[in-house]
Amino acid sequence: MQPGELLKPGLYSAAPNDRAGATVRLKGGRCRCGYFFFPMQTYGCERCGSHGDALTPCELSADGTLLAEATVHLHADKNRPTPFTIVKVALDDGPVIRTLLAEDSAPVAPGRRVTGRLAPVGQSESGETVLDLRFSIAS
Amino acid sequence: MTRSLNELRPVYVVGIGWHRYQNPSETPYVELGLTAIRAALADARVEWPVVESTYVATALLGMASGRPMLRHLGATGAPLMHVENASASGSTAFRHACIEVASGISDVALAVGVDKRNPVRRPDTCLGNLAEDAIVPFTHFALLTNEYAVHNNASTEDIARVAVKNHRNGAKNPNAQRQQERTLDEVLGGKRVSGSLTSLQCTPIGEGAAAVIVASEDGIRRLGIDAGRAIRTTASVGRSERVYPPGAGFDAALTKETADLALAQAKLTPKDLDIIELHDAFTVEELHYIESIGLCPEGHGVRMLKDGALDIGGQCAINPSGGLIAMGHPIGPTGIGQIGEIVMQLRGEAGPRQHRGARIGLAHMVGVGAVCYVHILQR
Repeated sequence: MQPGELLKPGLYSAAPNDRAGATVRLKGGRCRCGYFFFPMQTYGCERCGSHGDALTPCELSADGTLLAEATVHLHADKNRPTPFTIVKVALDDGPVIRTLLAEDSAPVAPGRRVTGRLAPVGQSESGETVLDLRFSIAS
Repeated sequence: MTRSLNELRPVYVVGIGWHRYQNPSETPYVELGLTAIRAALADARVEWPVVESTYVATALLGMASGRPMLRHLGATGAPLMHVENASASGSTAFRHACIEVASGISDVALAVGVDKRNPVRRPDTCLGNLAEDAIVPFTHFALLTNEYAVHNNASTEDIARVAVKNHRNGAKNPNAQRQQERTLDEVLGGKRVSGSLTSLQCTPIGEGAAAVIVASEDGIRRLGIDAGRAIRTTASVGRSERVYPPGAGFDAALTKETADLALAQAKLTPKDLDIIELHDAFTVEELHYIESIGLCPEGHGVRMLKDGALDIGGQCAINPSGGLIAMGHPIGPTGIGQIGEIVMQLRGEAGPRQHRGARIGLAHMVGVGAVCYVHILQR
């Protein structure tokens, strides 16, 4: 499997020859004040208000600790068939993010170590595998 | 030198009114709103032309919905403005109506909330996100339920008991959208929504209207309003989310700092509160917020709930109206309806829902963003 096409390349990246998508890094940012945030933006720092070159891109590890999980049974958008599971993760690098649990992940619970990987979620018009970030229990 | 609300002129709620909160219907919003306003005017025993200023709370009706409604009361030329602050729209409108009267700019002002269920359009910041389309409000609170349950060793049944109590209160409220008592089995056995939340533990977004009229002492005297039924607003605080320490959820922290400021403004402690109307859009919120307001230490909410301390007639009646879970949450009206319920209780006019001897009530709302508003009313 080639790494394929990333669904949201503005938010994460992976090494070109990484078949398992295990080298995924999140495209976050760091303020001069020391505050880490995700995703990268230049509007201004939520903690201190600095902007412009006070904010610099910063790759964040996709390793973290699970804060909460919820399996969704009811969802209006037909493009997201239920059930799916949302996880809230405190990244080791600071920011707290919320996203999807990998469908093949073992069950998760608060306090467990989790890690983000790229998982195939469909095919692009040109036939390439489309990859998106999913979390699962850290191996 | 800045001053808080209770250091300005005293401001009183003198009239309250509703159009029942209900499932979406063909009833035009104009009729919903006018019904609530006319009820509030009748309750205060004043006529529309005495209202010097109107704050219209609405989130889902579209631009400038107030004038096409208010003109049917007789166009007096008085100023009006619209307030959109997500779930806290009504609370925010009430705060600014109070500020206008307390400052001396007006003697009589109206806060009216009205909404119909319409699609919610969220702003586009042009910042990417991982999966926000998959995380609707009930999933935000399903995540919070999971965190609360694990941290405090609370069971799914413990948390669902909030809904049993609030459906029981709503069953006695003619303005509630849901007016049916529910057993714990019914609550737990309902349709699963997200995480451990079932549909009877979630607010039913519907439609409706609520109105309150506020007045100064000058206004009360000049218009011959019954001062014995006037309830004073002794604190008003609005806050928005800050950056909290790593791992601290914003929901509890924002409510705590807002409630602390309001209690300090009124020179009260949490133990003084007889009634709290709070944002229980989802069961877990009620436990979170009573602990944040300081009614009990963190994790002790379930014990108070099981002991009946949060019932009408208990130590502090929480959501005697039925709350957002049973009374409903039509968005714009909700925060104003909370004020109306507290006024009714402090007057001793709440009938079968009356919490005996109620003298002090606190109204709490949060809104997406996040924002938080707290008001304290005293007899």
